[in-house]
Amino acid sequence: MGRVREGRVLKMEGNPESKISGGKICGLGQAAVQVQYNPDRLTQPMMRVGDSLQPVSWDKAMALLEEKTGPKSGINGNEFAFMTGAMSGHLKVLVQNYLDSLGSKNHFVYEALSPAVSFAANKQIYGVDMPRLHFDKAKLILSFGSDFLGTGASPVHFAKEYAKFRKAPRGTLIQIEPKMTMTGANADRWIPIIPGTEGVLALGVANQLLKHDDFSKTVPADIVNLVGKYDLDTVSSITSVRSDLIGHLAGLLWEKSPSLVISGASVEGHVHGVQNAAAIQILNRILGNVGKTVDGQAQSPFPQLAPATGSFASLKAMNDGMGAGTYKAVFIYGANPVFTTPSFMGFRDNLRKVPFKVAFVNAVDETAEECDLVLPIYTAVEDFGSHVAWYQPEGVEITMQQPLMDKLYSDTRSMGDIMLDLVKQRRADEYKAWPNFFSYLKTAVTNIKPAVKYTDTDEHFWYDTLSHGVIHVDAPQQQIAENFSTEMLDLPTTVNSPDPKFPFYLIPSERHYFRDGRHANCGWLQESPDPLTTVVWDSWAEIHPKTAASMGIHEGDYLEVSSQNGTIKVKAYLFPGIHPDAISIPLGQGHESLGRFAKGVGVNPFKILNPVFEKNTGELAMFGTRVSVKRTGQSEIVVKDEGPVSTQMGRKLVVTLPADVAQLSKEI
Amino acid sequence: MSITNLLNNWSFYRQKRPYQGQYDLNRQYSEYKWAMALDLDICTGCNACTTACYAENNLPVVGKKRFNQGHVMHWIRIERYWDENMGEFPEQGASFLPMMCQQCEEAPCETVCPVGATSHTNDGLNSQNYHRCVGSRYCSVNCPYKVRYFNFWNYPSTAWPAPLPDQLNPDVTVRTKGIMEKCTFCVQRLNEAKSRARTEYRLVRDGEVVPACVQACPTSAITFGNIVDPKSKVAMMWKNQQVDLYKDMQEKDNSVRGYRILEDLRPFPSVMYLERVRDMEA
Amino acid sequence: MVNTYEETEVAVEKRFVPKPLDINADIAWAKINKDILRSLERPRPIFWVIFIASFALFLVGVSCEVYQYQTGLGVANLNNPQVWGLYIATFIWWIGMGHSGTLLSALLHIMHADWRKPIYRYSEAMTTFTLLTAALFVLVHLGRIWQFYYVVAYPNERWTWPNFQSPLVWDATAIGTYLTSSLLFLYIGMIPDLAICRDNAIGIRKKLYTFMSLGWMGTDRQWANFRVTYLTLACFLMPLAVSVHSIVSTDFAASQQPGYHITSFPPYFVAGAIYSGLAVIITLFIVLRYTFRFEEYMTMPILEKLAKLTFAAGMVWTYLNLIEYATTWYGNDMYAKQALIYRATGPFAPEWWMMNFLGSVLPFALTFKRVRASIPVMLFMSIFINFGMWLERWMIISPTLAHGIYPWTWDDDQWPSFVQWGIVAGSFGWFNMLFMLYCKIFPSVSMYEVKEMLHERRFFKSTNVATARDPAINPDLAVEGGLAS
Repeated sequence: MGRVREGRVLKMEGNPESKISGGKICGLGQAAVQVQYNPDRLTQPMMRVGDSLQPVSWDKAMALLEEKTGPKSGINGNEFAFMTGAMSGHLKVLVQNYLDSLGSKNHFVYEALSPAVSFAANKQIYGVDMPRLHFDKAKLILSFGSDFLGTGASPVHFAKEYAKFRKAPRGTLIQIEPKMTMTGANADRWIPIIPGTEGVLALGVANQLLKHDDFSKTVPADIVNLVGKYDLDTVSSITSVRSDLIGHLAGLLWEKSPSLVISGASVEGHVHGVQNAAAIQILNRILGNVGKTVDGQAQSPFPQLAPATGSFASLKAMNDGMGAGTYKAVFIYGANPVFTTPSFMGFRDNLRKVPFKVAFVNAVDETAEECDLVLPIYTAVEDFGSHVAWYQPEGVEITMQQPLMDKLYSDTRSMGDIMLDLVKQRRADEYKAWPNFFSYLKTAVTNIKPAVKYTDTDEHFWYDTLSHGVIHVDAPQQQIAENFSTEMLDLPTTVNSPDPKFPFYLIPSERHYFRDGRHANCGWLQESPDPLTTVVWDSWAEIHPKTAASMGIHEGDYLEVSSQNGTIKVKAYLFPGIHPDAISIPLGQGHESLGRFAKGVGVNPFKILNPVFEKNTGELAMFGTRVSVKRTGQSEIVVKDEGPVSTQMGRKLVVTLPADVAQLSKEI
Repeated sequence: MSITNLLNNWSFYRQKRPYQGQYDLNRQYSEYKWAMALDLDICTGCNACTTACYAENNLPVVGKKRFNQGHVMHWIRIERYWDENMGEFPEQGASFLPMMCQQCEEAPCETVCPVGATSHTNDGLNSQNYHRCVGSRYCSVNCPYKVRYFNFWNYPSTAWPAPLPDQLNPDVTVRTKGIMEKCTFCVQRLNEAKSRARTEYRLVRDGEVVPACVQACPTSAITFGNIVDPKSKVAMMWKNQQVDLYKDMQEKDNSVRGYRILEDLRPFPSVMYLERVRDMEA
Repeated sequence: MVNTYEETEVAVEKRFVPKPLDINADIAWAKINKDILRSLERPRPIFWVIFIASFALFLVGVSCEVYQYQTGLGVANLNNPQVWGLYIATFIWWIGMGHSGTLLSALLHIMHADWRKPIYRYSEAMTTFTLLTAALFVLVHLGRIWQFYYVVAYPNERWTWPNFQSPLVWDATAIGTYLTSSLLFLYIGMIPDLAICRDNAIGIRKKLYTFMSLGWMGTDRQWANFRVTYLTLACFLMPLAVSVHSIVSTDFAASQQPGYHITSFPPYFVAGAIYSGLAVIITLFIVLRYTFRFEEYMTMPILEKLAKLTFAAGMVWTYLNLIEYATTWYGNDMYAKQALIYRATGPFAPEWWMMNFLGSVLPFALTFKRVRASIPVMLFMSIFINFGMWLERWMIISPTLAHGIYPWTWDDDQWPSFVQWGIVAGSFGWFNMLFMLYCKIFPSVSMYEVKEMLHERRFFKSTNVATARDPAINPDLAVEGGLAS
């Protein structure tokens, strides 16, 4: 939703009818208008001439497209690849159809921060990608690195759920993670842990619980046996979590039932990520939370619209294909792999080997810089579309996107229109009924009508849908299984042992407004202080004050952070909410392109990630990189909102009340 | 305020504010008193309110250099405090505090402005008249919360490279250099709602209008409304939390969470905060 | 009528130990005119060199201000919360210096301390010009300088008034009043001298002095009116001068900012003002004495008296300063105490300690007669005391604003930019220009009062004029009184 005045969209708002957002909106959503009016938006098609991109007319651009990929070009399906970011809805269908028309199966969906490991673990255990989580029903949430308030599936939705969880009877949130996230900052208890050992800790807690008969009955004996080897001392020495805390956690889980145990990116981004997640999920099983707080999502009746969330495996496949010279043409939409891939992959060089590369963008990013044809498309507020989120709390919700204003630049085009034109290159007859994407979408959406038991005319249904902005489809709940096996849980007790050459664990943290960096060119987001460090317009390395003191590092000192794969120079920020053996650098900055607000700001830690992969899924283990840290001797002030002190200095600004004193139930 | 007006209503102008019954549903021009309640326990510190405020109120993006100089213009800012007795790690997380103009009833900024550019409106807002402001910055000096932001630069000429000006909200002035500005509780929305209500011979309904921050807040941590209306949610919350607009210090039970920040300075703020809760046993 | 001069002399000298002479008794009256009018003659080249240097300095300030006007106050590196910086600090400093001139002149006039006579004229001029300089800073610090007149109560069609609750409005009013009265006091005191100038001038100057001396003929009636007017103005100015700086202090004392919100601020400001004013009087005393060869008029005993007064004012200031620290330290105001500790230990600590040293420790050197008797040392002392007093004003403004009630907005890093320094430097150029022009257009030493002083000395052969005026000792006063007072 947005506010429009004189044909200009001014401000974005949440749709109150959405079950996901409930009318609320995060800063990213707000910033959509800054994408729309971005001074660095691409306003006309660009074509590579020599080393640079030159403006070109649409006719010429489309002619070139026809020449290189049209029916006469003789390109076969295997020689063509289409990379997109996560996508859902009818545009995804159209992309698939285009690939079908080419006879190609090469739709590579790539998201740098995809939930693929989490999905894989859930699939193994529950038989679904993502179970539905009932925050409001839980009395205790034990979160292993899940930053549900800041990043992940739907921060706005989970924040809403979190608010319910915090109302009387107030639930307790315990967060265990190597670097404090926004969720950790809101936890009743925050426990630092050596990165990657969360699974071991979970098994340690499980071990304590299983000592009790009530719980040991719930899981097969072989699992009880396996868990038995994770005794307090072992677990404590591996995870660096005090042994009394492990018992304490087990006690709390016992006391506060039903509870909910969840895991997040920092757990899953390791070699044994799936195992970690499984070890954490076994707690839900032991505590009997499955069916109470962990449930199935609705089964979508429209699998073709369901979101494709992307994986590293598909990136790798495409990268290998490009490296081998398989592809003659590559389309890229909604992804910026040149920026988000680690340098060891050599993605940029491989991309250059492809003879014809096309990017569909709002602004020229690092990937588009490498392409031969860059086509400017509508922004989200100019275009029609439909979306399906991958976390659906109630039923299935299809979100409708419709233009809030006329196109700002006459030389931009709808992505849907372009795709439709491309499909028509080969299937003109099948698609002749639809002159544009709007008509296609209208027909397609109207087809949903029976599923929602709408009785009025098609036309009414269409306008009703548009005016509400969402279609709710009641769908049966998925049944979830509970498959735990000893192989899944058998975590080696040597996980993540220290490396003397690279003594620090690198945590490439996801900033809630930057994600993988695609939104970096919005002034609002650059100037919005990071919630925990309050740093703006920059990258920084979070390092624990104790470690910093031992190394003689002060705030603002430039550090050389080196992995086997490269070095980045970044300012230090002394941050108490991080494990002393870890160093955290936020993702999303360090652009070489994209626009004036992003270019040259900060550093890009994606580049120095090591080739460490999750062993079950082959996903890149984002948190598996070890680094060494060296002072450079240079220093510069860290630009942040925080003043010289970080406490309240004895003033009564934020007052903390113990939960047992507060009487939330008497409040309004 | 003309002299005649002043002389004729001398006792009214000499009345110390706020006084019991200053705002009353039955009194013309005093039937509104906008107030807030902000629950720090469910505020997650996500900054959605800040961004919404930038969008609604035409706040300029100042850039890194000027941010460093202290020229940032965020009318609502999220402060992050660590506990004073924190050990090696912040085991109870961080404390987030969204801080915006508290719309004090007895506002320290109002008395010191030499030209009367900041003054109280009938509906209890601390208004800022940009056209009258000469930029002495005395109000900022006297504001205990330091939530007044001065236009140190001519932002209209630099902060919005074309076509970003297309996004500007036409209901809100774009401020030039040399004047003070601050959170207005989105007064443009309030005025619109009030005049809409007036044409329908009624008062603004509870929830009919909210500032941009309240609207955006994903956890609904902020409640906004007319505290004069005893049935409004915000009035009920204030009453429930034993916070009285007309009292400088509340005498409350231990279990009650409501408080106003820096009450001891007696500015009578219009924003009630609810204490952060932490499970000490966890 | 019975007593002769000799008898009086014996009576006086028996009862009083002779004191060092404020002025030599043997200067001829014509020589006084000649000496002092000489200072109005065509200046030496060095005058123009210094004048052009001052003008250049002033231009630096003007260009900084133009730049700031065009760009915004951001170029001054002011920020939130440090919104005032050097502008307001230097404003208080200039206005404080302006205190001693008129206040001292009026006070000593009422008290019949005749040693004021050779030095009061330039002090009053100094007051006027420092006030004019200070007023510049009020304008310079405004965000929208082009709308400064909103602060003034002027009739307008919208019936808008300034906010009379605001100390800034009191401030503007008080300074305006003080400036007007000081100017009047200076001008009225100058009328008999302007008449002398008129009688000795030709050309355009003749016209100027003729116009300005308002037809002064030196008749008894004119003298009588003049005395009454001058005394009345002096009586009016004394409390006014005290009130002005008290009101300036309410700009701070009436605010909530910890470090400003201090009850003792009014006397503290007044003491500081007199202190720094005396120091600048000493500086100018030495400069004028040297430049115009006024050794016969600006004598060492006067300097000695000024030095003693400076020491006294310094001690009052120190006392009030220590009171402020002590009440803050032992008080229960956490905010103020933190602000005090911050000043003494934070990033402004070097300046703060230097301020305390220059303001409170350095003046103890004045207890030594050898210090008071040495002109170079006194020049050095007066300049450094004033520098200390400037630091004091800066220490009131910047560290306090940097460290208010609200910890999130504390700010350690702000440092004034070249624009602020440039404008501060420009204010010196501006003051110098005004003062130099004044010295060349108007007599900087009062001729008629020096003559009065001489007359009394010759008449009584005594230094202790106040006692000699006692009719019990000197019955002649019954006759002389009608003429002299």
